[in-house]
Amino acid sequence: MNSPATIEALIADLQPVRPVRSRDGIGLLLVAAVLVSGVAAWRYGLRPDIVAGAPNPMVVLRLGTLALLGLATGLAAIASVRPAVGTLRTGWQWALAAALLFPLAALVAMAWNGATAPVALAADYGETCLRISLASAMFVGGALTVWLRQGASVRPRLTGWLTGLAAGSFGTFAYALHCPMIDIVYIGVWYSAAIAVAALAGRLIVSPLLRW
Amino acid sequence: MRTSDANLAQLMRLAQGGDAAAYRALLIACQSWLARYYRGRIAPHLIDDLVQETLMSMHAKRATFDPDRAFLPWLAAIARFRWIDQLRRSYRASETELPETLAVGAHDDEVGARIGIDRLLALLPDGQAEVLRLVKIEGLSVAEASAATGQSESLVKVNVHRALKKLASLCESE
Repeated sequence: MNSPATIEALIADLQPVRPVRSRDGIGLLLVAAVLVSGVAAWRYGLRPDIVAGAPNPMVVLRLGTLALLGLATGLAAIASVRPAVGTLRTGWQWALAAALLFPLAALVAMAWNGATAPVALAADYGETCLRISLASAMFVGGALTVWLRQGASVRPRLTGWLTGLAAGSFGTFAYALHCPMIDIVYIGVWYSAAIAVAALAGRLIVSPLLRW
Repeated sequence: MRTSDANLAQLMRLAQGGDAAAYRALLIACQSWLARYYRGRIAPHLIDDLVQETLMSMHAKRATFDPDRAFLPWLAAIARFRWIDQLRRSYRASETELPETLAVGAHDDEVGARIGIDRLLALLPDGQAEVLRLVKIEGLSVAEASAATGQSESLVKVNVHRALKKLASLCESE
């Protein structure tokens, strides 16, 4: 066995390290989310009902769902940097299931009232939604990925998905503060599309960056 | 040498602070632990390399050990990750066949059983676990595994692929 040479080399390379702390990652995620929301609000303006302090119930519902999904998936991604057998992180799955009610409701609404779809899927609003949501998501996802790379995820594919979902959720949250639409079909289609694209980007771009 | 989890965690805490003596003791203990962990779960001639790779991974990622948590579940997650990585690298050599005497449980205590590789293999469907063991651990060819199990050659390949994919997703499972 030639391992003693390896051990001596590792000892020679030993430097003090600061243990990776989840709270640092959580702090970074929240700061990034607040930052993109602030920039989006400053650049595009807040919805009038939010400014007036009396937001439409649908706005409250979508913002709450996006924040919960972003937090749940972000926390799961952050926790994955410190691996351990016996660690079960499934909370994000419930948050995702709850968020999926929006596209499901959109499908039901379209099935019952097909005329809603063309109006709700208005391409100009939808394009703006995707652009702002994904630009914001890119910033949140980029910051989170830089932090995650110091970790040791033993499931980099899943961590990539989770990072994309978290970034997409907070990116869409930033847009939702401005979004003038409250139609369930619009929200179910365009918000879901933005989050799905961000999640896919997380799988395709972030996962390879997390391999070690 | 059998060292308690609490001792190993303490050694790692000291090593994170730069204590070379503690780190030496930790690495020697981990080397021994990993050799037992992998015994019977990979071809004997690959164990040394895999142990070294795992020690290097442990070194590179030592900052991810949480000083407030148990040590062995952390080390076992890294060990499983490296083991699955090794299984993915295809190899085929007659000398990789395992003597019966090696295929014994490396960890017979309760904690070892929960974090061991056998627990991971037990989570696979029988058909997948069987061909994975034959092809990736015992080194049989796909044709030999097919003859031994009655599965078609294409099914053996599919099952090995599925097994590796599932193992990767179960890396932190008990």
